[in-house]
Amino acid sequence: MVETLTPERTPARLCELSADARAAVLLDAAGSLAGASDDDPARARALGELARELFEAVDKATRDWEVEPPQQVEVQVPGGAVFASRTPRWTLAVVARRAALSSLMLWDLRAVLGELDGAPPIRRARPAGIGRGPATDEQAAVDLPLPELGGDGGDGEPR
Amino acid sequence: MKDRRKGPISRAAGLAENMAATVRRMQREREPRVIVYDPSGYARLLQPEARGHARVMELAEDMVAHVSTEGEEAR
Repeated sequence: MVETLTPERTPARLCELSADARAAVLLDAAGSLAGASDDDPARARALGELARELFEAVDKATRDWEVEPPQQVEVQVPGGAVFASRTPRWTLAVVARRAALSSLMLWDLRAVLGELDGAPPIRRARPAGIGRGPATDEQAAVDLPLPELGGDGGDGEPR
Repeated sequence: MKDRRKGPISRAAGLAENMAATVRRMQREREPRVIVYDPSGYARLLQPEARGHARVMELAEDMVAHVSTEGEEAR
């Protein structure tokens, strides 16, 4: 049975998916902490507060830009990197290792937020031939660890 | 159009050039910076002299330091 992703488990899920993620927090639309990869509540709250302030600072800095409000942020600093992604309901922020690949981290953030909003779960790729029958195109399509594209406005049906 | 390298020395030089370019690109990618992405994925650099850049950097540094301290305490 497919386990539904809960807000509490979302940051830990991101850290499972990405080897470069060191700690993550999830905030709800009001900016309150909804989940954290850290078990210590005080530390989790502190990181959540910083994540909330980060998006506030980004919004303030980009207020005059004639574009839509940023959906994702990447900040590279000497000791590591911070990535954050938001939807109307959630904000997910992660502190990553310096070596983290931006495109992969941003993809993982979007994918996990999509999973939280009800998209099919992402599964780890497995070596071919382990615990299954002969490989087929249908099996490959089922195993592809990518969520469907066109989540906004698309009907999700293959064309 | 790029000249095609024919000899082994020329090919080795080409490899070295490619590796150097890769290292330069990786270093550039690790430089302190703030990039924001709009909903369509379009990236924009927040210029270092822009208003608010320093605050964003400061918050990100605090977040990284917070996690680093956490790791040290856990050891």
